[in-house]
Amino acid sequence: MRSFFALGFTLLVVGSAAGAPPEPAKLAARIDAHVDARLKAENATPAPRTDDTEFLRRAYLDLTGRTPAPHDVHEFLADQDPDKRAKLIDDLLDSPRYATHFAAVWRAALLPEVAADAQARVFQPGFEGWLRLKFRANTPYDKFVRELLTAPISADPSAPEAVLRDPTKPNALAFFAVKDARPENLAAATARVFLGVQIECAQCHDHPFGRWERDQFWQTAAFFAGVERQGDDVFAPVSDARRREITIPNTKRTLYATFLDGNAPKWAGDTNPRVVLADWVTAKGNPFFAKATANRIWGHLFGRGIVDPVDDFSEANKPSHPELLDDLASALGAADFDLKFLIRAACRTKAYQRTSAKTHASQDDPRLFARMAVKGMTGEQLFDSLALATGHREGGRDTARDRFLTQFALRGAATEPETSITQALALMNGRFLNLVTSAEGGPTLVAVRETPGMTTPDRINALYLASLGRKPTAKELDRMTKFVAAGGTDRQAERLSDVFWVLLNSAEFRLNH
Amino acid sequence: MKPLDRRNFLRTSTAVTGASWLPAFAARAANDPARQRACIVLWMAGGPTQTDTFDPKPGHANGGPFKSIDTAANGVRIAEHLPLVAQQMKHLAAVRSMSTKEGDHGRATLHLRTGNLPQGGIDFPTFGSLVSKERTRPDDDLPGYVSISPRGFGPGALSAGFLGSRHSPLVVGDTGGGYGGEESGGLRVENLGLPAGVSEPRADERRALLEEAEADFLASRPGIATDSHKSAYQRAVRLMKESAAKAFDLSEEKAALRDRYGRTRFGQGCLLARRLVERGVPFVEVTLGGWDTHDNNFAQVKNLCGALDPAWAALMADLKDKGLLDTTTVVWMGEFGRTPGINPRNGRDHYPGAWSVVLGGGGIVGGQVVGKTGADGMKVEERPVSVPDLLATVCHAIGIDPNKQNMSNVSRPIRIVDQAGKPVKEILA
Repeated sequence: MRSFFALGFTLLVVGSAAGAPPEPAKLAARIDAHVDARLKAENATPAPRTDDTEFLRRAYLDLTGRTPAPHDVHEFLADQDPDKRAKLIDDLLDSPRYATHFAAVWRAALLPEVAADAQARVFQPGFEGWLRLKFRANTPYDKFVRELLTAPISADPSAPEAVLRDPTKPNALAFFAVKDARPENLAAATARVFLGVQIECAQCHDHPFGRWERDQFWQTAAFFAGVERQGDDVFAPVSDARRREITIPNTKRTLYATFLDGNAPKWAGDTNPRVVLADWVTAKGNPFFAKATANRIWGHLFGRGIVDPVDDFSEANKPSHPELLDDLASALGAADFDLKFLIRAACRTKAYQRTSAKTHASQDDPRLFARMAVKGMTGEQLFDSLALATGHREGGRDTARDRFLTQFALRGAATEPETSITQALALMNGRFLNLVTSAEGGPTLVAVRETPGMTTPDRINALYLASLGRKPTAKELDRMTKFVAAGGTDRQAERLSDVFWVLLNSAEFRLNH
Repeated sequence: MKPLDRRNFLRTSTAVTGASWLPAFAARAANDPARQRACIVLWMAGGPTQTDTFDPKPGHANGGPFKSIDTAANGVRIAEHLPLVAQQMKHLAAVRSMSTKEGDHGRATLHLRTGNLPQGGIDFPTFGSLVSKERTRPDDDLPGYVSISPRGFGPGALSAGFLGSRHSPLVVGDTGGGYGGEESGGLRVENLGLPAGVSEPRADERRALLEEAEADFLASRPGIATDSHKSAYQRAVRLMKESAAKAFDLSEEKAALRDRYGRTRFGQGCLLARRLVERGVPFVEVTLGGWDTHDNNFAQVKNLCGALDPAWAALMADLKDKGLLDTTTVVWMGEFGRTPGINPRNGRDHYPGAWSVVLGGGGIVGGQVVGKTGADGMKVEERPVSVPDLLATVCHAIGIDPNKQNMSNVSRPIRIVDQAGKPVKEILA
């Protein structure tokens, strides 16, 4: 495995050296030109550039999955380098947490089943572990997708491949297991995540709005036709007899493996159909792959895709900025599918660095990217940020995080995160949040409360930094100082706990803005 | 020290005065002309055996050891361990011809609860969320969908899907303990009470501070994310209010009535369902798990019926007494039935091919049986009923248009019930 990554890395370097190295700054300027042209055409006034703390928090959440620590804030604010934002983006992309966060995000896209199904959840650590390896090595995305789709599976049904040897070990076969090793599920996920199209709606009947027809769905599924589970449950081993045709269930109709563009593969010998499919999916000339990938990265950073939902490319769902999408897709291809290159460029743009605050009436249409969208946090982002802010340390098998992941799992569009009563109750009255803000307090609160020589405003400043990654405004500091003072000296500790509780429950903490 | 806070104080005082106040409240609820219809689903997790409940096969080898008994409905016979439900049979209609295809717990559960099989990345809402969407009014203190002890469900089975978490169920008592057999102490809304060490006045003060502290942020970033945050906190606080939280306090009920429901988690859950419906909650489900009886089916089913029978019968009678039965549809169902044939471990396995559900109360003509299986119970011989048929029937009973469309997360409008669903007209009033 290790030598394979090394090889992939070498090839990338060689490939880049051959042409001009892709420059994120150039792409960033082109992105802004596309976005600005549209803003101008719509007569919209974009929101101004964020201040450093808003940018820092956003970049940390988007790239590493959690908020910055107070020392990160200090360091960033003190840095006088005019290029410090670009530098920060590079640093965050090099941090181990980038791989952790993107693995969790890609896992949620590829295996959404995990949120709903306890058995599928067994595969989560291994699958995220596998994804983490890919993101850590910055494996070119086409290679990464190819490895997933062509994961080795025994062709012999009597000696099938075990799908779960050790739940904690990196495991690409988890993808096949959780999809019940069904060709239709595998085809649907492949098309949705890697090609941005929802052909599975055509599983039962022709798609009413798009151009996907039922036959196309089953022709794609036919590439996985040999994949079969040898047993009843999700843990049963799988085999792949490498069949190239499939019979639509409950019909007599048999279809042959055919690409979504209508072309039939040229078979050579006993080629594995999954390899043939992967070659086509990840080919530079594939009309879907680069666009779908660029769009997904854009959607992650901006809260909505240029085509939105990010996996619904169809005639009826046009891109908001078609030229921008084309540009991003060809830049990604030119950069040999280096995702970090695309992220670097997008994060450097004026568009990404606009405040999320509404400063003009013309900023309401989210498709214009006139101000940054307010995004929901995933369960992982929320818990990891809470843990960091409060100084909570996971002790052994901590179930608090697991509960957060289920209770706060994002559903639907990132820019339309809905809060439920149960979530609000959990944050207001739940054990975790009250433990870390109680009289005994979590490490952060204890330190802020007990450090000698600090004034009340100093302590409030520290709580704002720990939770919101910024200093309070004069008005806020005054309000909070008065609140603490009003409790009297004997209740100062309790009042500081309350301030911390308020900050951690606030929309500003809970949302990625 | 254990201070007597306001919550406990009020609870104590209403327990004293409650007796005279409650009947008037119930009468008001029943006579309210604006009162909307409600639905209570008794969800039998694991897939209940039809043969040993509502479709007995006495005299056939598949019938097993249970006898069948007469019911209050002429000519309708059911299995012997539901004698109290049998007395309510004039309010209930059994559908003995459910015919579905999914024999996997997870997929079948989603199918029955959303009307759809997983497809196309569409986040299908569970049925309760769909009802909540139709029936929740913005000023309601209580949520539109409450799920009582939904043990063993993945979040998908309780998800509001593309309707958004505004309509996800408020879950009661999903932590700790096993099924049934315990006092209702486990039936609580998680995190509804203030945490230990936080008094009511202190909680009020810090909530006021929160509102003040985040006002500028919320105002500066209008949109769904901030609106939903604000609304969820407001609704959570309303739910914490004495009057709303009290809906969950079973100690207000007379001991004799609580006994009648059975002092099991399921029994007390049914009583809670009635309290919630009485207060205008449009959709409540109560789960009784343990029906996955692959082994030792008969002892297990007898035991399960011990919890089910008094609870369900008491619920029907109590709803009737309170004048709520005409506006409350009660549905008994699981994700599939069980094999008519008995396996070597004296158990029954998953069987979606031919099984039973029961509907009663509001909008339903009780006292009858619809559909028929053969002598061995293996096949539906008359009037097969599909999942969309069943859900369309429930929609009609509670007065919701099953053809109404909601916009889904894949930008495609989706009907409340697939248009293939045709209501079982024979049982609709």
